[in-house]
Amino acid sequence: MSSQKTPYLFGVRHLSPRGAYELVKFLDEKDPDIVLVEGPSDFNEMMADVCREETKPPFAFMAYTRESPIAVSIYPMAVYSPEYQAILWAHRNNKQCRFIDLPSGTFLCIGKEKEDAENEESENDAEPIGVRIKKAVGEETETWWERNIEYTAVDYREAVNEYGKQIRMSDNSRGKYDVAENMVRECYMKRQIEEALKEFSPEKTVVVTGAYHVSGLENCSALTDKEIKTLPSVPSLATLMPYSYYRLSARSGYGAGNNAPQYFEMIWDSLCKGDKEYTSYMYVTKIAEYMRANGGITSSAEVIETIRLAKTLAYMRGSRIPSLSDLRDSVISCIGHGNLSEVSKAFAFNEVGTKIGSLPEGVSRTAMQEDFYIKLKELKLEKYKSMCTQTIELDLRENIHVKTEKYKFIDLRRSFFFNRLGVLGIDFAKNQHKVQSRATWSEVWNLQWTPETEIQIVEAAINGDSVRLATEFVFKQKLEMASSIKEISAVISQACLCGMEDTVNAAVRSLQQFSVDAVSFGELAMSLEQLSNSVKYGSIRYIDTTHFIPVMKQMFYRSCIVLVSSCRCNNDAVRDVISAMSILNAVDTDNDFIDSEEWVKVLCDAALRDDINTKASGYAMSILLERSVFSSEQLSTEVQRRLSKGMPSDLGAAWFEGLSIRNHYTLITRLSLWEKLAEYVDTLDDEEFKRALVFLRRAFSSYSSLEKDQIAENLGEIWGVNAQQVSEVINSAVTEEQQEIIDSLDDFDFGDL
Amino acid sequence: MATEFQRLPAEQLYQEEIDALIANEKDPVPTGWKMSPKSVLKYIVGGKAGKKVITPKYIGNDRLVEICIATLVTDRALLLIGDPGTAKSWLSEHLCAAINGDSTKVIQGTAGTTEEQIKYSWNYAMLISQGPSEQALIKSPVYRAMESGTIARLEEISRCASEVQDALISILSEKRISVPELSTELPAKKGFSVIATANTRDKGVNEMSAALRRRFNIVVLPAPSDMQTEIEIVKTRVEQLAGSLDIQAELPSDKVIENIITIFRELRDGQTLDGTQKLKQTSGVLSTAEAISLLANSMALAGSFGNGKISDYDLASALQGAIVKDEAKDADIWKEYLENVMKGRGEEYRGLYKKCKELNA
Repeated sequence: MSSQKTPYLFGVRHLSPRGAYELVKFLDEKDPDIVLVEGPSDFNEMMADVCREETKPPFAFMAYTRESPIAVSIYPMAVYSPEYQAILWAHRNNKQCRFIDLPSGTFLCIGKEKEDAENEESENDAEPIGVRIKKAVGEETETWWERNIEYTAVDYREAVNEYGKQIRMSDNSRGKYDVAENMVRECYMKRQIEEALKEFSPEKTVVVTGAYHVSGLENCSALTDKEIKTLPSVPSLATLMPYSYYRLSARSGYGAGNNAPQYFEMIWDSLCKGDKEYTSYMYVTKIAEYMRANGGITSSAEVIETIRLAKTLAYMRGSRIPSLSDLRDSVISCIGHGNLSEVSKAFAFNEVGTKIGSLPEGVSRTAMQEDFYIKLKELKLEKYKSMCTQTIELDLRENIHVKTEKYKFIDLRRSFFFNRLGVLGIDFAKNQHKVQSRATWSEVWNLQWTPETEIQIVEAAINGDSVRLATEFVFKQKLEMASSIKEISAVISQACLCGMEDTVNAAVRSLQQFSVDAVSFGELAMSLEQLSNSVKYGSIRYIDTTHFIPVMKQMFYRSCIVLVSSCRCNNDAVRDVISAMSILNAVDTDNDFIDSEEWVKVLCDAALRDDINTKASGYAMSILLERSVFSSEQLSTEVQRRLSKGMPSDLGAAWFEGLSIRNHYTLITRLSLWEKLAEYVDTLDDEEFKRALVFLRRAFSSYSSLEKDQIAENLGEIWGVNAQQVSEVINSAVTEEQQEIIDSLDDFDFGDL
Repeated sequence: MATEFQRLPAEQLYQEEIDALIANEKDPVPTGWKMSPKSVLKYIVGGKAGKKVITPKYIGNDRLVEICIATLVTDRALLLIGDPGTAKSWLSEHLCAAINGDSTKVIQGTAGTTEEQIKYSWNYAMLISQGPSEQALIKSPVYRAMESGTIARLEEISRCASEVQDALISILSEKRISVPELSTELPAKKGFSVIATANTRDKGVNEMSAALRRRFNIVVLPAPSDMQTEIEIVKTRVEQLAGSLDIQAELPSDKVIENIITIFRELRDGQTLDGTQKLKQTSGVLSTAEAISLLANSMALAGSFGNGKISDYDLASALQGAIVKDEAKDADIWKEYLENVMKGRGEEYRGLYKKCKELNA
């Protein structure tokens, strides 16, 4: 045997079936005593769990920093990951296996710095490998890879090592920082390899690493102890988590994309079967199966034609086995009748798949998961941990029939728990909003447990160690990021639902700070409404809302100040102003700590001013009428003034429209008002009448026919005619003659109304 | 090439290119084909054969052409579907020209097409005098294609009545036509296939039966996906047309082509290119082919009646004709487009805008 000085380097792509297959073959052949795998060296202790029988891929290693801002890195593994197969091989053969890359703490630390650095970097004009491949063969990198490396390459190891070298050569296309990071990683790995070589001979050592690093590892020198000490690091935690193919395809952390995990698994299966063409048959048959299951008519003849076409397409590219793109295009043409839309769902189902990995009970459970399960038990929710949806009804009030303090408020605590899960993005409980929304003590939730939920819980672990802490953290981040009053108010109402008083108070403080800066009238009103609701319904959740009062007072006062200036607007904008006024009035009547006097004063000002939008004035007037600030006499004078001949008739009519929005009955019962209106109409000449008619019609359009009857009665009284006659005229359908007159109005020039 | 004919079939027009490709053939040639699938692809999407430059015939997604060729290699029939003016017939003609050197075995589908035209018919005088015989048989293009192992083309298949379409079903699956009158049967030679084209948008078309659709590999040809591709297509085709039609006028400038394509794309998509303004769509399709004929038309106008340079007036009247198909609706849409979009476009469109407006006054 020749005495070899360097260990075997096996370059791989991180998620490559052929790589995994060839690697296992290579390991069988060389039978090393130790396998070194690229992966954070502090993950070593998790290897035992990875090898347990109950562990089903896909799963992922997850590392995250302990302190905010939180950084996460995820290393997903599928059954066809070469690294996973390497670990399994070592376990099967009772050989040693180690991870040799930088510890995750260091990774996370440099990852963060890199982000900052990359923002400053300029575009480099060297061609990335993908562009070069596209130019040379006219195919996308993924397709090229599949065709040439996964299927065709005779010596996989050689081909991949060469590929890695080529990427390295076009390295200029990567950022400077990236290159530096890779250098450090390679020197560190080299050091780990050298450590291993102290115990094992080189011909009994295999290193599994990304193809990119192969030539780097051949040429670099190892880090010294001193250098290792200077590596930056942040405190971090690591765990195993179940993963799903969906996640793998949508956001795999690796640069090596893997858009079709289910399909890649088929490739892995066919390699294990020793029949490379099996993938194509499998894929197209599964597509046909899906189509049939979903109401499509897909004949076996079509399946055969699809495979024939795919093979011909591959053949035109000089390959024997169709690639995914060949298969896809053939399926579209033969099964999908030329339309991608007909088969796109089948594609997604068969390429991405719904597979979700699982881990043995109790393996690497994060503090978050533990807290979650304790809470489930505490709140007697364990029976709801099932795949089918179950409904639970909560009564948030104190249960007086229970003796123990613990269960008196169990439903309330459940509600808090569910709401917190919602904030953390864990879809375990969904609130079924009841029709009777005002009954705040009653809630209905749908509970459903899916494997995806477990993943969401692990992901939520990055925010904190318990459901409560993580929720608090998420709220804190939201508050820090908030850029408008609306966002903060949303946090407040959510935090109230979650029963998190501290967060509520913090949010109220930042709301106060925000409201000092200029904000619009509408926003103020909306926020006040939210706060007011929280005050109103806070008691059922035992949230102390006394902190709200000074802030609400302040905001209310601000609204009073800006009200008049907000009313100087056109007819489109005035609608929002009016709804804000209505909200503020409700806030004022709901909360006795609000300064009503100031509110009334401002309303009076708005009602009597002539330089603001008259509709807003009218509306202010109607609120004041309702609050009995104005008497009937004062109203009649004002009506007379507003509707006098000097006023442009459109302004007058708009004012009347504003006045009549709010409360029809208060108006109907005031006879004097109708007298004035009647007088006013009498004073108009034809032209003005037409102009006013439009507005008046609009004003009365919201009245019911009963109300119109009553108005008719009023007017009948004034004009001295029988009420019934008037009512008939008002409520009757438009005659042809009248229609003509109305039609002629269409041509009437309303100017710039 | 100077000729007395209005339009030569593709294989004659591009004879030299086809010869060069055959001369430089390196890959295996399927039975009944004149060149390898790779060379067919090169003939259609362009490239080089030895020293001869092969002009691109179809500009767009090369992959679609690849699928078409692969379909024909597997002896499956090919159905090209797409909006009017997406180069369906064009592609079908060139595929046949490259594969067989003959694109003339065509059946033009109409509402009046009969089953005999797809299978065979008789010379009745002869039939009556001699009785059924080989000589009295009039072979359809499909019949001849089966006999010679080549490709037959069926244009506008969806315009044929359903019964007539159905005649194809057995031909495509059995690959033979029986002639009971002569008690013989014609089996198709290797290399026989059918390329059909259909458009889905026009009025007066018949649904294709599922049975027939199943016998085709279907390729949907899209409208040019981006502005640049469309400009390139129009430019190439207008140059070729101007050459073959002997139009004595200057070629339209790049700017003019770009403006016309902009107007077409905006009205076709129902929004401005930058996506900020919504527009009404016209009743016509406003295809790329229409843009090509519009420009050729303008050149003819300029050459015959003008100073040989396309003027704004020529363009305006051609646009009017292309866009306003349905007088009542389209005219309003076009007027609205002129006022709301074109007017604000500045100097570049000023002249064209004025002329268009005059025509609509």
